[in-house]
Amino acid sequence: MSQSKFTRRSILAAGAVTALSVPFVRPSWAAPDTVRALMWEAYLLPDRVTAFEDTHKVKFVPSFFDGNSEAYNKLRVGGSKEFDLVQADGFWPQLYFRENLLRAVDYTKVPNASTYLPEFQPDTFKVLSDPASGKKIGFPFCWGAYGITYDAGKVPAEETETLECMFNPDYAGMLSTSSRFEENIALAALLVTDRMGTRTKPRPDGKPFNPYVLTDDELSEIEKLLVQQKNLLLTRYQDNPTLFQLLQSGAVVAATEFAQVFRQLLTAEAQGSAPVDFRHSLKMKEGGLGWVDTWLITSGVEDGPRFDMCNSFIDMMISPEVMKKIGEVAGCSTTVDLRAISSESERKLFLMDRSNEIADLFMFDQPSSPEKWERVWSNVQAA
Amino acid sequence: MTMATKLQRRLILDIPTGFLLLFFVMPLTALVILSFWQTENYKIVYEWTLINYGTLATEGAYITFFLRSLAMAIGVSIALVILSWPIAYFIVRYGGRYRIVFSLLLVIPFLSGEVLRLIALQGMLGPAGLVNGALIRMGAAPLRMIMYSNTASFIAFIYLYLPLVVTTVYLSLINFDFRLAHAASACGANRFRIFTEVVWPLNLSGTIVGFMLAFIPTLSASLVPRFLGGPNGTLYGMSMAQQFGESGTWALGAAMGVVLFLFSVLALGILSFGVDLRRTGFTGLGRS
Repeated sequence: MSQSKFTRRSILAAGAVTALSVPFVRPSWAAPDTVRALMWEAYLLPDRVTAFEDTHKVKFVPSFFDGNSEAYNKLRVGGSKEFDLVQADGFWPQLYFRENLLRAVDYTKVPNASTYLPEFQPDTFKVLSDPASGKKIGFPFCWGAYGITYDAGKVPAEETETLECMFNPDYAGMLSTSSRFEENIALAALLVTDRMGTRTKPRPDGKPFNPYVLTDDELSEIEKLLVQQKNLLLTRYQDNPTLFQLLQSGAVVAATEFAQVFRQLLTAEAQGSAPVDFRHSLKMKEGGLGWVDTWLITSGVEDGPRFDMCNSFIDMMISPEVMKKIGEVAGCSTTVDLRAISSESERKLFLMDRSNEIADLFMFDQPSSPEKWERVWSNVQAA
Repeated sequence: MTMATKLQRRLILDIPTGFLLLFFVMPLTALVILSFWQTENYKIVYEWTLINYGTLATEGAYITFFLRSLAMAIGVSIALVILSWPIAYFIVRYGGRYRIVFSLLLVIPFLSGEVLRLIALQGMLGPAGLVNGALIRMGAAPLRMIMYSNTASFIAFIYLYLPLVVTTVYLSLINFDFRLAHAASACGANRFRIFTEVVWPLNLSGTIVGFMLAFIPTLSASLVPRFLGGPNGTLYGMSMAQQFGESGTWALGAAMGVVLFLFSVLALGILSFGVDLRRTGFTGLGRS
């Protein structure tokens, strides 16, 4: 039988291991040394983050994602413990909260929440409330649509009043859409359901029409439409800089996007680029898709220093001066009222007086069946 | 054998074995298990099923992705071998004392990340890129075939993997005894015969390694088709990545991964069995 003995050497070794591990063991009540965020890369402002790090003596650790489903998948596989903050848009925050991936937030701990536009005030903007408990689950950040940016010199404005514009063979090889499969399918759904006249018929979920909840017949028609569209596309762009180049070079004359590239193009023009009559259609006659990006706090964050740090970070991010900078860098409209510190052209460019239009747009949502949508998208890609 | 030697030997073997078990065998096992489950609305359904493999075997889309990838991988690997041989041969035969410098130059592209290299290539092959920009300035029409197409992906693969294949062929040729070629020449063989009957077979091992180093990553590539492939350029690896990312259909993605792994092992096996290692000059088998 083996018998363990405490020797001077073993005690010294154990002591050394303990001493070495002390810096890596932190009690739960200690002030956090990091703030970990799962976010969209476009919203990262290095200078503001550095200032926040210096003020609060923490390290900001960002991870990036592209679509909501990607972030959702990351959260579901343990991400609510790995991240303190997460971003999402549309109805996704409600789903996260239902699945205990988020915690409720407290607007009184974020002073800049008082600067929200009327449409995004906590009492008005119900998308960020849990329907069951009424608890607030996040803070609005930027908003926008998924409309059509086009070169009005090549595409008549009246043609962009309908989604048919993105399926018009006259522009073959000069159209582009993003690579996000949910929005490609949902946008095509607006056109298909309009053509089929199925919006007013009973819906699969018994609720009013939502382009993210579709019947098999509708999905089948969408697949056919997207296969036709594929031959008209130059590419499905992966990122905004690519679309910017494609539009600026004239290789693409119309593209569906979040109006961010549209604003970047106008800014570039104001800074001396060759003038092109770029315009953006926010909502087409068949309808449009809208989104409100948010800041959410994960369920892994408990009351205490870490929660306070998350609130401080959100407060900094939604402060008017940071939001103005975010708008300029990312090219998005903000949910905070910046009209007092913006010029007339900025008010127009960033749709500051049109935020009430968000109510007419279909919010980004979770596909009714990711498996069926994936099959449709694969069939389109393989066709 | 002393106790210390035994311990040393065990450590030398156990550390890499443990590493492989932890970071290769276990993830692969997890992937295999996941492939026999299902995902429904971003949730895993823990019930054993063959449905994912059934989907891959019967749904035209996934078969198309696989065949596209296979054709691309074969085409790219053959093209790379054809391109790499003269480069490696030139360096070995005529590089002189600069051979090592030439071979190190091949590594330069690896000093930047793959994404960066692809973005640079996207800029070069794109509508406003170096090639098409120059054509447009000269009044010619842009080359549509190199913009967001399978051709663009093909060019990117060649660019990405050329250094790997050249290096393996170079390493093979540098160990080749060129006196054998001279002997064949002295016996009256012409250059073509020397190459096909002496130089090529005795360097087949290195060539096959180079072929596989290009074939396997091309077969599973996701970044290249994503950035350069365009609407008709989705390859198997890209579709597989989509299952784990945007669409959240992990179980199907896992089955795609298992199929890819098994096919790669099979391809490796076929190529390995097709080569007589002794005839290639490979000395690892010892003398019988």
